[in-house]
Amino acid sequence: MAVDELQAIIQRCQILEEADFKGEDFNLFQVAGQKCLEDGYAAQLLEVIQNEKNKVIIKNMGWNLISPLVRCIFMYKQEDDKREHCLRILEQLAQLCNPKELFLGLLEQIEQTSGEQVCQTVMLLLQPLQTVLLKLQNKKAYSVGLSLAMIMNQLTPLPVPYTKQQIQEDKLGLCQCCNAVVDFAKPFVNEVVKNMEKSSEYNDMELKEELIKFCMKSLQYPLLTAQLEQLEGIEEHPFRHFANEITDILWNIGELIPLVFVHRKGKSPHWENQEFADIERKNSADSLACLSYLMFVQHFGVEHFPVVFSPSYLLLCNMTHIEVLLKRTEESVLSKGLDLFESCLLRMEDNSLLHHYLEFRDFINVPQDLVKIMTLCPMEHMRKKSLSILQLFIDKFDTEGKYALFRCLLKTSNHAGVEGYIIKNIKDQIHLALTEYDNIWFTGHHLISLLDLVLSLPEGAETDLLQNSDRIMASLNLLRYLIIKDCESDNQTGVWTTLGKIEQNFLKPLRVGLNMSKAHYEAEIKNKKENRKEAHSSNTVCSVTVSGEKMPAMTTGMQLQVLHSALFTFDLIESVLARVEELIEVKTKAVMDENS
Amino acid sequence: MTTDEATKSEGEVQAAALAERGEDITPSKDRGVLKIIKRPGSEDEFPMIGDKVYVHYKGKLANGKKFDSSRNRNEPFIFSLGKGQVIKAWDIGVATMKKGEICYLLCKPEYAYGSAGSAPKIPSNATLFFEASNAGELLLDFKGEDLFEDGGIIRRIKRKGEGYSNPNEGATVEIHLEGFCGGRRFDCKDVKFVVGEGEDHDIPIGIDKALEKMQRGEHCILYLSPRYGFGEAGKPKYGIQGNAELVYEVTLKSFEKAKESWEMDTKEKLEQAAVVKEKGTMYFKEGKYLQAVIQYGKIVSWLEMEYGLSEKESKASDSFLLAAFLNLAMCYLKLREYAKAVECCDKALGLDQDNEKGLYRRGEARLLMNEFELAKCDFQKVLEVNPQNKAAKSQISVCQKKTKEHNERDRRIYANMFTKFAERDAKEAASKTGVEKTAEKAACEKRPKTGAEGEEAEGHV
Repeated sequence: MAVDELQAIIQRCQILEEADFKGEDFNLFQVAGQKCLEDGYAAQLLEVIQNEKNKVIIKNMGWNLISPLVRCIFMYKQEDDKREHCLRILEQLAQLCNPKELFLGLLEQIEQTSGEQVCQTVMLLLQPLQTVLLKLQNKKAYSVGLSLAMIMNQLTPLPVPYTKQQIQEDKLGLCQCCNAVVDFAKPFVNEVVKNMEKSSEYNDMELKEELIKFCMKSLQYPLLTAQLEQLEGIEEHPFRHFANEITDILWNIGELIPLVFVHRKGKSPHWENQEFADIERKNSADSLACLSYLMFVQHFGVEHFPVVFSPSYLLLCNMTHIEVLLKRTEESVLSKGLDLFESCLLRMEDNSLLHHYLEFRDFINVPQDLVKIMTLCPMEHMRKKSLSILQLFIDKFDTEGKYALFRCLLKTSNHAGVEGYIIKNIKDQIHLALTEYDNIWFTGHHLISLLDLVLSLPEGAETDLLQNSDRIMASLNLLRYLIIKDCESDNQTGVWTTLGKIEQNFLKPLRVGLNMSKAHYEAEIKNKKENRKEAHSSNTVCSVTVSGEKMPAMTTGMQLQVLHSALFTFDLIESVLARVEELIEVKTKAVMDENS
Repeated sequence: MTTDEATKSEGEVQAAALAERGEDITPSKDRGVLKIIKRPGSEDEFPMIGDKVYVHYKGKLANGKKFDSSRNRNEPFIFSLGKGQVIKAWDIGVATMKKGEICYLLCKPEYAYGSAGSAPKIPSNATLFFEASNAGELLLDFKGEDLFEDGGIIRRIKRKGEGYSNPNEGATVEIHLEGFCGGRRFDCKDVKFVVGEGEDHDIPIGIDKALEKMQRGEHCILYLSPRYGFGEAGKPKYGIQGNAELVYEVTLKSFEKAKESWEMDTKEKLEQAAVVKEKGTMYFKEGKYLQAVIQYGKIVSWLEMEYGLSEKESKASDSFLLAAFLNLAMCYLKLREYAKAVECCDKALGLDQDNEKGLYRRGEARLLMNEFELAKCDFQKVLEVNPQNKAAKSQISVCQKKTKEHNERDRRIYANMFTKFAERDAKEAASKTGVEKTAEKAACEKRPKTGAEGEEAEGHV
């Protein structure tokens, strides 16, 4: 029945000239063709299409069948003959149809697909789309660009497989699809390369620009969020393969090196709308950061990169990228930032980074970002890694640079643990300075001004000692070290000159604070114990919620435990404080005895 | 022996020769960088710090393995000399090369990538050898640093400054300068002034601009094109003709940065706005439009994005901004930067949509950009605001005449054309050549007669 209808309209059109086809004919053809497909007559439809006599009709009307065809292909099972026929029809249409219309038909199909079908649809249509694009006469570059942009846009909402299992499973087919898209783009890359060899014409620039856009987009999605480390047991890691292909394309069209050194060529498209310009800038910052990561960490395309740049300069160039990556919170992106930073630092010798670099804002911002990660990031391995990188960063600076960096971090970190860590670093530097002769930054007046910052309590006696215990312990240890190591007669560090100030700003308020805190906590413990005797029932003061789940209320026993551990901390501080005071007394007395 | 083997052993021989006979070019004479000149340079000139140098090279490790070649990239390697962008051996080595010279360099790890190496190609503690490729090795060419990528100011640094911070616009600088024109020294002085106001000391705008890229202690030579020098007018005081190229030697002795916009509070900004407006107007009256733009521009940068003002402050701020935009528009008209003039008028009209001067100046700018219809609209609006404005009336008739001429010209040009493409090309060509000039000329001729512009770059407030 359906086949008969199709035959009827075909016969009517066979005798017409191309120009005489009417809108009505198009409709009838589409309805009949669709019906054939729905009723399972794909084989017959294929025959009609392959018939030489129908060439003109198919050329003009064939594209109408794309939509029902795609629907049918997804309906049939993999091994069904009918599916095979449908695929043949698609192939034929790509060969026979008017490229302009078929192009729009295919693009429309890709645009309409969504969710789990995206990758399947894209992979199904890539081949015909490529055939059609290669046949297209006008606006080819534009059409290639449009296709690539449309495909990438459709893929972007899909989650990027991250774990080894997810990658192997490739549930939605994204890994496979990305690599298929690269293959799709290859003939166009070759075309650009060929034309570049001949000469550069205006038209080629257009196609090249479109390919650059595609690469930039791919760098941002899926590569920025993809796992790109080599995985054991996966020989051809799909995203590594994809990354390699993308850097290859960029190299082949001569844009890899200029992009990595983009700051030299400040070319960006002009947007009327400020919002678009901002989005564009942000996206390209992401893409370029990812490209740097691919090159310097994963070594994709690095064989083309000049090997005469100094490590400091490479760090400087990468600092912007590192900052972009460290501002993000996704593990996949953050870890790329840390890896890139680490790889840049590992290229440098210790003490080789000049303090002048701290005049670049990134060099101050990035360590502060590291501090944020090590104090706020929920993933422990990230926190640990960022701490080790901070140490690496400190190690690379010259003495003056270290000094300035410590100052900056002490002032900005707002975290007692980090401050304690910096103070420990200061102690190490002083230790070095006492064994060298020409170190002016960690001895004498420079050191004293740094010690002012270290040996003080932020809010005097009222400072929360528990909260600041890490910092206070580190400060006391530093002071103890100075007094033992540097005799009053030498006074290399200058600590003896400023002892009065230290006593006033640090030791005295600390003693007062300790007494107050201890009294307070002891009273609290006493209170709790009495309460326990009186009322066993729970009367919680407040409840704590962590990520939506209510934490169980603390029992009085637990509360007591916490209070005791606080008291223990105070005892610890007090014992070191006592030791320091004792040392000061002994040493000053010894000097006085000598003098008397 | 294959050619590969031949080149390899040749490389080894060269490395050995370098170690034996190479000249030690390190400042500390520790034999860290050794050099042999293969072909002396063609010109007797060395590159200076900051110069953009172009080098073709091929690099090999001690075992003869090639690790890099600029030929693979089909373009010379480009970098700024003496700024730490490249390994030490290169900053030292390239500085000793003359234009066109070819040489070999043998670099100890301390002058290359040291114990860290450079993954993945350079192992730890590697000695590097830079040597011959097909067309010559370490082939050098260089030119001065083009500060604004427009060829207007070329800098060559004789002595590097310290650190990385530069004076900003409005910073107070202390410099020593010597000015030359055609080999004659016309100026030599120590002077302290505010960046952007060098004109007060007969210093051309190019020096102000260049200072913003200099560091403390830097000593450099600046080559200024007339646009950044004394322009068409020249400088009679120094006996300098119009359109003269100038050369300055400048040492930046010290500077103190001006406060950035975010460091100032509203009160301070409003006070300063009055001061710079005065200054801008003074420059404008003297015909120093570039300098005037800097002063008016400060008002915009301070006040355009200022939020949270009291009603009184807001009123004052708006009137400063309005005056700044109108005066900027006037300056840009004089500087023949019509697109910028239109932009400023748009902003002025954003603050006061019926502003007569704003409308008139936008009309003028558009007329000079050959946007006759739009220009006519503007002049018509001027008449709506002030029917007495005779200048606007006569401008309207200019617009009509121009439109007509333009259409006729188009018609003639299109007469023999067939394809749309060709038509478009022709239109572009036509608008670029004749029409623009005639329109400009006509507008200039009109100018003296019209009362609504010219001298009132002054007080709007």
